[in-house]
Amino acid sequence: MAAVASCGSGAGSTGSAVATASKSNVTSFQKRGPRASGTNDSGPRLVSIAGTRPSVRNGQLLVSTGLPALDQLLGGGLAIGTVLLIEEDKYNIYSPLLFKCFLAEGIVNGHTLLVASAKEDPANILQELPAPLLDDNSKKEFDEDVYNHKTPESNIKMKIAWRYQLLPKMEIGPVSSRFGHYYDASKRIPQELIEASNWHGFFLPEKISSTLKVEPCSLTPGYIKLLQFIQNIISEEGFDGSNPQKKQRNVLRIGIQNLGSPLWGDDICCAENVSNSHSLTKFLYVLRGLLRTSLSACIITMPTHLIQNKAIIARVTNLSDIVIGLESFIGSERETNPLYKDYHGLIHIRQIPRLNNLICDESDVKDLAFKLKRKLFTIEAEVQKGVSRATFLLDGPRKKLFPCLFQLLEVACIPWLMASSSIFKASNIGLSPSYVTNSEFFSASLFHF
Amino acid sequence: MLDSLLSLGGLVLLRDSVEWEGRSLLKALVKKSALCGEQVHILGCEVSEEEFREGFDSDINNRLVYHDFFRDPLNWSKTEEALPGGPLGALRAICKRTDPGPVTIALDSLSWLLLHLPCTTLCQALHAVSHQDSCPGDSSPVGKVSVLGLLHEELHGPGPVGALSSLAQTEVTLGGRKGQASAHILCRRPRQRPTDQTQWFSILPDFSLDLQEGPSVESQPCSDPHIPPVDPTTHLTFNLHLSKKEREARDSLILPFQFSSEKQQALLRPRPGQATSHIFYEPDAYDDLDQEDPDDDLDI
Repeated sequence: MAAVASCGSGAGSTGSAVATASKSNVTSFQKRGPRASGTNDSGPRLVSIAGTRPSVRNGQLLVSTGLPALDQLLGGGLAIGTVLLIEEDKYNIYSPLLFKCFLAEGIVNGHTLLVASAKEDPANILQELPAPLLDDNSKKEFDEDVYNHKTPESNIKMKIAWRYQLLPKMEIGPVSSRFGHYYDASKRIPQELIEASNWHGFFLPEKISSTLKVEPCSLTPGYIKLLQFIQNIISEEGFDGSNPQKKQRNVLRIGIQNLGSPLWGDDICCAENVSNSHSLTKFLYVLRGLLRTSLSACIITMPTHLIQNKAIIARVTNLSDIVIGLESFIGSERETNPLYKDYHGLIHIRQIPRLNNLICDESDVKDLAFKLKRKLFTIEAEVQKGVSRATFLLDGPRKKLFPCLFQLLEVACIPWLMASSSIFKASNIGLSPSYVTNSEFFSASLFHF
Repeated sequence: MLDSLLSLGGLVLLRDSVEWEGRSLLKALVKKSALCGEQVHILGCEVSEEEFREGFDSDINNRLVYHDFFRDPLNWSKTEEALPGGPLGALRAICKRTDPGPVTIALDSLSWLLLHLPCTTLCQALHAVSHQDSCPGDSSPVGKVSVLGLLHEELHGPGPVGALSSLAQTEVTLGGRKGQASAHILCRRPRQRPTDQTQWFSILPDFSLDLQEGPSVESQPCSDPHIPPVDPTTHLTFNLHLSKKEREARDSLILPFQFSSEKQQALLRPRPGQATSHIFYEPDAYDDLDQEDPDDDLDI
């Protein structure tokens, strides 16, 4: 009975759990955040900038990437001073959306933007940013959009696994209005928000004349100009602390589009053995140095599917902090695969940084898929091969994780399996870890005796 | 859709190969746009001017503006009619024109340009040319620019071909079967899914385009494409289905850890940390509620 009571209290508290506490903590010790800077003696002064918050893991200052689902997968957000690299999908449809959400988040929070592109004019990019869903009316819209295709079977009250029926179906609820917003991909951002924001644009064809000579073993001229531009903005506007008179500190959000494509003057996409293969890697190295010494965060989209030399991709991955790959199903054979019919593509999180830490804060869910609904871009864990063996017993929706697992038990009516608490030690958030192995265990145990 | 390729503007990439050549399609598209009244500029690098103009009637030949880079590509003869800057200079000069109206530029061929110029320079120039109509700031409203590029994909590795196709708005890959040519058209619109379509066609001797249906598909011994979904519950050695009576019996089964509903609700409701803990006791079916001490019966 005592074991049951403790499980109960664990399940009860999950309903109110904050989404960032994701790991299975065996300890109840929580790191307290730094105290508010009321006193001027001990303790570091808390830098309170709009749109940022300290990480619960290591106190690093985080900014939102514009997609709350992505924030959660990255352990709370993008740390200031780091680079988020997005490997573009093949037809470049979904990566511009992530890029624009990042910039729109900066505008909504009042951060300064720096947009660099060789393909489109930055002013045109800013015109096409998605509109934020800010007030409660839009939150209702978001909820109904999310639960639009909730099937009736998901409302079945469970008899055996009744403790888990209160767990939230979606892992991300509505966010606080200060960190992380939802964006409506079908509407444009209001013009007055753009005009009220402070932004700098770098459009390569305007800044460079095409007859510059490139010395070997150095950066291509486009990259040199971009680095100089970024450095000027950082020092002029005091993001690196060089302007101590400024009272209100702000964050600089840098967005670089299609880095490494031939339009930047870099020929890593054109040939396998390039003469100047270190240009991009040097650029990333210098850029990271600039970012680490200033209050800025950077998003870069790169067409890695065009890069011919795989060693360059590996180097670029090592030089970036967070690397996310988008793989869309358009044109591939996965488009017709019934497992993927609800989604538009897969998201691969290839790298997460270890900032002031020995381990990185990786999410336990590795099979992630995204879909662009009518208005929103959502990321969900896709229910994949491990559970498909057991799905013929279920009529329930295949999208949701733990109800699926427990409906399996309900149908099979094997209550003695519930008692083995080693499998169902309800951790803080529930059973997202190793759901695949659990279900394989059950399917194995059900059908082998 | 093949006849409306040029209406979208931007870079149209014609990828051909040795078996299915693309110059006749290029000439057919050039003829079509000349007949529509657009300005047509040809950058001839791979074949001579006479060979390119062969097959066009004089009406169309008068409308084509031909820039010849075949006879003297490196400008060794130093005549004054040579254009400065080579083919790219000619491209930029075409775009700096002041008269409005749609322009079609045919590059014959992009392969020649790729072999003589660095790929990045070519990509940048093509991007500047094909996106000129979208950038404001010029005083004169410039018309739509379509660039038709002929690319022999067997001459290049995947790098340059991939780079050019990522820049292209429309990509036409020529293929065919049994003597009939087909064009696989992939259309990339800026923020939408790419659409693709296969169109069978043939080019008539006067370089007009004749769209056709595909060749008749002969009956092949292929497997039935519609496989009915496999029901995994058949052919099992045990029964997975429940009859109605069995379902009712299962629903009325008392589970060993079944609690009363009040205890269930109390456990479900999140309690904000209590000092005391509650003990819920429901007597089981086998519980004896007799208050007597059974040890009293012992006769010691």
